[in-house]
Amino acid sequence: MLPLRAFLASLAAAALLVVSTAASAVALRSVAWAPTAVGAEAAADAQWHSFDLPLRWTASPDDPLKGLALRLRLAIDAPPTQAWAVLLPHASTGGRISVNGRMVGEVRSADAATEVRWRRPHLLAIDPALLAAGENTILIQTAYRGGLHLLDRVEVGPLAEVGRAYERQFFASSVLPWIGGTLAACFALIFGLLWLRRHDATIALVALASVFWVLRSAFFLIETVPLGAAIGLDALFYVANGGFAAVMTLVLLRLAGRTGKREAWLAGLYAALGPVLLLATAGHAVPYLDLFWLPSLIGMVAVSLFYALLSRVRKHESLQIVVVTAMAIAVAAAAYDFCLMQGWLPEAGMLALHWAGPLLLVALATPVVDRFVGVLRVAEGARSDLESRVREREQMLKRNYERLREGERMQATAAERQRIMQDMHDGLGTQLVSSLMLVERGALNQAQVAQVLRESIDDMRLAIDALAQGNSDLLAALGNLRYRMEPRFRAAGIELIWDARGMPEELNINPDAVLPILRIVQESLTNALKHSEARAVSVSLQVTQTGDETPVLTIRVTDNGKGIVGERVGGRGLLNMRSRAGKIGGALTLESVPGTGTRVKFVYKLAEYHTGLTRTQTQLGLNTEAIIERFREGAS
Amino acid sequence: MSSDKTTVLIVEDEPEFRLRFKQIVESEPTLELVGVAANKREAQELIDHTRFDVMLIDLGLPDGNGTDLIRQVSAKRPDVDIMVVTVFGDEQHVVSAIEAGATGYILKDSTAADVVSCIRLLRAGGSPVSPVVARSVLRAIRNRMGGSAAGRTGGPMPENNPLSARETEILQLLAKGMSFNEIGEILGISPHTVTAHIKKIYRKLAVHSRGEAVYEATQMGLLRS
Repeated sequence: MLPLRAFLASLAAAALLVVSTAASAVALRSVAWAPTAVGAEAAADAQWHSFDLPLRWTASPDDPLKGLALRLRLAIDAPPTQAWAVLLPHASTGGRISVNGRMVGEVRSADAATEVRWRRPHLLAIDPALLAAGENTILIQTAYRGGLHLLDRVEVGPLAEVGRAYERQFFASSVLPWIGGTLAACFALIFGLLWLRRHDATIALVALASVFWVLRSAFFLIETVPLGAAIGLDALFYVANGGFAAVMTLVLLRLAGRTGKREAWLAGLYAALGPVLLLATAGHAVPYLDLFWLPSLIGMVAVSLFYALLSRVRKHESLQIVVVTAMAIAVAAAAYDFCLMQGWLPEAGMLALHWAGPLLLVALATPVVDRFVGVLRVAEGARSDLESRVREREQMLKRNYERLREGERMQATAAERQRIMQDMHDGLGTQLVSSLMLVERGALNQAQVAQVLRESIDDMRLAIDALAQGNSDLLAALGNLRYRMEPRFRAAGIELIWDARGMPEELNINPDAVLPILRIVQESLTNALKHSEARAVSVSLQVTQTGDETPVLTIRVTDNGKGIVGERVGGRGLLNMRSRAGKIGGALTLESVPGTGTRVKFVYKLAEYHTGLTRTQTQLGLNTEAIIERFREGAS
Repeated sequence: MSSDKTTVLIVEDEPEFRLRFKQIVESEPTLELVGVAANKREAQELIDHTRFDVMLIDLGLPDGNGTDLIRQVSAKRPDVDIMVVTVFGDEQHVVSAIEAGATGYILKDSTAADVVSCIRLLRAGGSPVSPVVARSVLRAIRNRMGGSAAGRTGGPMPENNPLSARETEILQLLAKGMSFNEIGEILGISPHTVTAHIKKIYRKLAVHSRGEAVYEATQMGLLRS
């Protein structure tokens, strides 16, 4: 809505300006006209012709430079006491100005090399002593060539009063075109650059209209021109007007939904007609072009405007109020200017297109700006949308990750449970069932039952030791085994030597391997206790590592007993130990020398699980940031 | 109450075990049974009115936890040895009992000889310890120190460790399954000294834990310091 408000405000300001320029001063309404030699005074016998002001006269482009005297009469009651001035609001040919035969100033007029087309006002101070009560004469000696010339009403009066009028007129005829031209130049630059980046028809049309307006403003601001260039300047005016009108027609046709190339060509060709005819006739066509071609341009735009409005109303589309209003104002202003230039209006006035044109440019730029802002807004919306989607994905990733971890935890728990069940089934369960059968058969005496139960409890303790060490610390579990076996060895009179000096403070191994290792050691100790008849049993625990190789756990159970006798080497207990060692990837060797003793050696590689644990932990430390970053990159 | 006999008080709620411990004590000439309690109330009565050297106590009593009694006796009668009756796989309770003031513990299914030798060990100024209990004690101490990295890796203990370097070393060797004799040999001390160290460690743990309890109570406004 901002562009519309700015537009209306500037409209009001411009209207105010027009009203204020209509202020009147003491005006001379008639002039006497006599031809002279160039640069000379009127001959004494010259024929003076009287006309009402404003005075308009034309000459053929072929005509040579001609001299002219213009005489105005000023009647005052008494000579003024303060400074007076004569104001020439629009004396297109300039000239030397005298009051009562005394020159008061000179405005450059056409000479052998130069053409002048003054559009700005001129203010000349008069010495009050020059003026006398009664009739005073103001004489303008000027010169002219081909074209249309104008002497608007001349105002005479106190300097302060006519000075104000002068300033208003100067603003309207000189400053305003400067402003409009500068604005158009800026627009031409901005939209031209924009068009270079983005070949959009609307942007191109605004840029083109701005360029044509710069040319048109230049025509109004160039007031003195070398003789040969005069026709070029006229051509510039026609090019600017024709081009601007053609662009406006195309803008309106686009509003009506017609974007064909044919219309563009036709409008362009018609716009070129004026300058081409001017140059072709060496300026002779100017009156006809001014009279017919220029208004036809206005007509073309007006018809297009009407057509566009009709078409949009029929299609129930928005009326593009800003553009359409500015266009209508510009058409009205152009029509007014045309009438003014043709002298069809009773009062001389200021050219309206000087403000209506730039206003139209601003109006044309607003849809482009609106669209640009809209696109920005959409882009921002898309960005925030993308960001929220990324955040959503982030949350999802985190949830998935949590779920994954939860799953892993549950899996670990399930595996643990499976292991416990398997252990109970294989160990305690089997032992209890077979013991029960023996007891039921009555095959065991009380001591044997106690023995069987004690073994069951031993096995259960083993399992509990293996499980209770939550962090699967093998060392403490083995230590506990020894601690429990110790009294039995003592009772049997066998020395149990335990050497764990070669072990680290804690030894975490794969939980699946803890119980089998405990069973192997227990079995070895039990065998030695029951069968070896040894005096001493020694257990040595050692973890060794050579270089970067996997650390190896070695457990040796050695006794100095009678050794294993023949058939017992392949006994069930030993087979069990072997199979347990094999299941966890360990190796069990048994050496037995009859009469000397038995040596059980168990070797187990550690590092796989030891380092495996830390690796699992680093894998769990999933880098979500990196994943999100990758996702962002992929999305943009 | 002859001076050469060790007087024993039994607090055990399960009749089977109560009877068994009673028999063990009664059949050992050097021991004298001065009372048997089946619950906390009875135990309190006996504690208040009887003199004894050793208290065998089960933690899980029908009318409450035995830890209170341990704390009470250890505070009032520092010369009494308190022996916790426990089941295997229950090391955490053993450690809390030690923190309350117990200096020994015995498994419920121990042989008569085990029970008697454990009581003797206690009266001789030592304490029993299994590798798992040794490890649990080490852990309890580490946790109190905030589980510092040095403690975790088993390296030298930080300064606020209540245990001396020798005590820590003994615990570590015990945790590996080494016996008192073997440790004595390695360290060049008698096995008896090793068990005496254990008792000292237990007492430190109890004092330390009491200090902590007092500190916490003060913090909570329960005590005026």
